[in-house]
Amino acid sequence: MKTASRRMVRFLIFIVLAVIAFMAMYPLFYMAISSMKPTIEYIKHPMGLPKTWYFDNFIALIYRFSLVRLFGNTLVYVGLSLVASLALSIPAAYAFAKLKFKYRNGFYIIMIATMTIPGITFIIPNYLLMSKIGWTDHIISVVTIWSVSAIPSTVFLLTSLMRAMPDEVLEAIKIDGAKYHQAMFKVILPMSLPGVVTVSIFNATNWWNDLLTPLIYLQSDGLKTVTVAVATVLNRFSSDYPLLLSGLLLASLPPIAIYIIFQSYIRKGLVIGAVK
Amino acid sequence: MGLKQERWVGLFSLLPAFLLLAVFVGYPMFNTFFHSFTEWDGVTSTFVGWDNFKTILSNGDLPLMLRNNLIFLLSVPGILFISLTVSVLLHEEVPGWRLFRSVYYLPAILSSVVIGFLAKSMFTNKGIVNTLLENAGLGAFTTDWLNTVPTEFMILILCFYWQTLGQGTLIFLSGLSSISNELFDAAKIDGANWRQRLMYIVIPSLYPAIFYFTIVNVIYVFVGLFGLVYSITGGGPGYETTPIDYMIYIQAFRSGNMGYASALSVFLFFIVMFITWIQLKISKRLEQ
Repeated sequence: MKTASRRMVRFLIFIVLAVIAFMAMYPLFYMAISSMKPTIEYIKHPMGLPKTWYFDNFIALIYRFSLVRLFGNTLVYVGLSLVASLALSIPAAYAFAKLKFKYRNGFYIIMIATMTIPGITFIIPNYLLMSKIGWTDHIISVVTIWSVSAIPSTVFLLTSLMRAMPDEVLEAIKIDGAKYHQAMFKVILPMSLPGVVTVSIFNATNWWNDLLTPLIYLQSDGLKTVTVAVATVLNRFSSDYPLLLSGLLLASLPPIAIYIIFQSYIRKGLVIGAVK
Repeated sequence: MGLKQERWVGLFSLLPAFLLLAVFVGYPMFNTFFHSFTEWDGVTSTFVGWDNFKTILSNGDLPLMLRNNLIFLLSVPGILFISLTVSVLLHEEVPGWRLFRSVYYLPAILSSVVIGFLAKSMFTNKGIVNTLLENAGLGAFTTDWLNTVPTEFMILILCFYWQTLGQGTLIFLSGLSSISNELFDAAKIDGANWRQRLMYIVIPSLYPAIFYFTIVNVIYVFVGLFGLVYSITGGGPGYETTPIDYMIYIQAFRSGNMGYASALSVFLFFIVMFITWIQLKISKRLEQ
């Protein structure tokens, strides 16, 4: 009797969870299906499956909106920002986690406090600074802002993860008299690789999805990122919803792919933030 | 490496990061503070004292924006409750729970722009929501969702929830899985029923996670709504759905009132600092 009612409860829980999953997924299905419809069909039957699978929206995006270049731009900006932010954050995180020096905690607190400064409080002077030195409408402005403003959270996450590195190995390389760069590339970097992957996924998806920074610093269409192009260029055709939705779908594919491949890293990163 | 050497290596490891933060975060921040007391078009600035702040307080913009932020703020407990419920249900580990967990997080990985435009396309006049209502015989409930104020907020909050559910679920699930089985078994032996175990074991052990989730999302509704507002309402009609961060963007980059926008940024800075201060106070109490 008891197991029967327990089974019933579990079944109900399953139903509730499935309904929520459907609600979470339906907009994505809708986006995928609508992007395969001609505009007229979309207006007549916004709900149904497409009568004929139709890829002209994607072809239009690739040719009329030079989608390949937009993807290329975004990939280059995100890639450069990743390299820059890691190059700046890994040594700092290692120092905070494992090296002993004066005022270490003081510096760490300053670094973490920087995390809470809203980005918008420094965007106006930075924009003017960039335009004064001629960096606006140039990738360097976006890469600089992205990588520098990601430093505090990157250092925070990497420091938390590096604290778990075993001290014995580090002591051993110290005794062996390894130079700093040798220790860094042969021991520290390989050992902290999972943390580097976690933080890189967070940063890369954040940057890929960022609207404000590239919207402000880049003006010419040829330099835009995918997300900005969807928000600005495609929005000029906003009555053509299937076209817009195909753009949204393509803009979402990279983050979705990253998520599917690296799920466990994302969970780990979220938890590190949560437990402190 | 000797201790003395280690000290220098440590400090030099921090140097590049701190240098760049000083140039691109610290200095511009002080610059914003300074220019909040000026009238500034980006080229010339004239000192006007507290005028910007007085204007913000007197022209009715601030109450309106704060009202808008407050509406989002009041929506935070809702998503907290939903995420908590869903994670407690997921923790029962019914078949398929791993898949559900992954599916719930999927929207969180998408850009606010994608989520915003997607919602916008669903809620247009002849969009899927109105069609669905008509097909279900609820034609009386169809409205022009995107052009009236209460429904615009509803859509914005719906998107915020859709984005945030996965994050909350994952955070609370990890909190739940750290509760020791012994504690649970002991409670069972003592005759605690499911509801009592929930109230006296599960929820209290989730306090740090609940607290973290709340703070992150409270800060988010002050500094993170730009993408959603930009793509769904554009802050309109008028400034009816404009939160502070979006207003800073409008004033600085559309109207060119850099001084006024700086003053708004200073307001926002102090709001976020105030929230962080509360966070520190509460987390100290939680540790005790």
